Amino acid sequence: VTTVRTVAVRRCADCHSAFLPRPGACPRCGSTRVTAGSVGAAGRALAAVELQYPPPGFAPPHRLVLVELAESIRLLAGSPNVLPAPGDSVAVRTDGERYWLDDPARAE
Amino acid sequence: VTVRVSATGWARFGKRSEPLDELMAEAGSAALEAVGRKSVDHLFVGAMAAGPFAGVESLTARLADRLGLIESTAGFRVEAASASGAAVFHAAVLAVAAGVADRALVIAGERMTGLPTPEVTRILAQSLAPSEARAGATLPALAAILTQRYLARHELPPSALDAVPVQFRAAAAKNPVAQFQKPVSVEEVAASRPVALPLRLLHCAAISDGAVAAIVERSQGEVEVLGIGEGFDALAIADRAELTSFRATRVAAQRAYERAHLTRREVGVVELHDAFAPFALIDLEDLGFAGPGEAAGWFARGWTRPDGRLPVNPSGGILGRGHPVGASGLAAVASVAEQVRGGAGALAVARRPRVGLAQSIGGIASHNFVTILGRPEGA
Repeated sequence: VTTVRTVAVRRCADCHSAFLPRPGACPRCGSTRVTAGSVGAAGRALAAVELQYPPPGFAPPHRLVLVELAESIRLLAGSPNVLPAPGDSVAVRTDGERYWLDDPARAE
Repeated sequence: VTVRVSATGWARFGKRSEPLDELMAEAGSAALEAVGRKSVDHLFVGAMAAGPFAGVESLTARLADRLGLIESTAGFRVEAASASGAAVFHAAVLAVAAGVADRALVIAGERMTGLPTPEVTRILAQSLAPSEARAGATLPALAAILTQRYLARHELPPSALDAVPVQFRAAAAKNPVAQFQKPVSVEEVAASRPVALPLRLLHCAAISDGAVAAIVERSQGEVEVLGIGEGFDALAIADRAELTSFRATRVAAQRAYERAHLTRREVGVVELHDAFAPFALIDLEDLGFAGPGEAAGWFARGWTRPDGRLPVNPSGGILGRGHPVGASGLAAVASVAEQVRGGAGALAVARRPRVGLAQSIGGIASHNFVTILGRPEGA
């Protein structure tokens, strides 16, 4: 896992929505005219939960944070160490498949 | 074309020792008995994950064989995660309305208690977006995130959720087919163990076995299908425009109301999808009854009780009746049908409704269903 300052996204050439890389067409409009891009890895926490009964392969308490980046890109990130409060500034890192919270970011 | 529900049948919800096909046959047989064993020409079967949960597949042929329905002309199994029971009912209604079927037997069920809880959680999470499941999300995790957003947006304390299980468990205590036969207090709800805060154990559906059935036929009668609707939303909650309301319910409701040519004001009973207590609040708002953020006040004031201005889940709902996931959507429809028919017994609401509405949520509200049943005006 490498720490990155950006997160890969896809942009739809037809409806101009941005979304995380995923198989298939634009989730909003179904267009296949999709281009690769990126947004900054810093954003804010919208909600954060501590799961007492995670699925097999994850140890309790498993922390999950709903993060909003630029262009209203949202993602669900794991958080091994901290449970941020809603509105907290956070940054994410990714291995291309999963996302994690980086060390708590300072508001810029 | 008039399509009606002429009978319902149940296999008690809870922890059962019988295999899934036996539970489904029990419910189907009860519905067939209720119409005097009249012949049915179609069999519709709903289950979310019969193989993974219960180790049984080929359910439609199995049930046709077991119920002596091999003379029937067709049968289908329908799946829409935790809304499978509603989806299969809609499929039967469409077949009858299209003139393909004259009388259909619809059976929905699930058997889940044979597996350890983490395994059940893993199977349920297969209804989630792969990106969110990879992060270790479960249904309670995503429900908790949505609940946090809902409570924050409307400036409500977590205790605003607690009246929901209290009301539904009290209702279930009068329902002989419900899993839970004992009421719970607000204190017990608030002290139950955390699952994913703000959700505690008594805010969450149980793991259950059970089945329910209905007969759908083309003819006029007391319980007509006035309107059906369904709607989708993005599989991942991260991809959704709104996090404090379910688009899939709003779209489904709008379509059902339009097809039924009526408004929420004519609805006299509701069975909604309360797999998590906060969903009951969101549902009541998405269906157009309460304004945004107002549903908790409805519960607090008792407006949703069986003698209230709009009885909600007089059967006990999912929190009280239990949640064999594939059955729950049809259980809601069957419970509404019994209220409209005047056959709800001890569960009957104070004023017998002319029109009732059932709502069902598939997965984390990615595929939802609304069904409106009623007596024709003047009947």
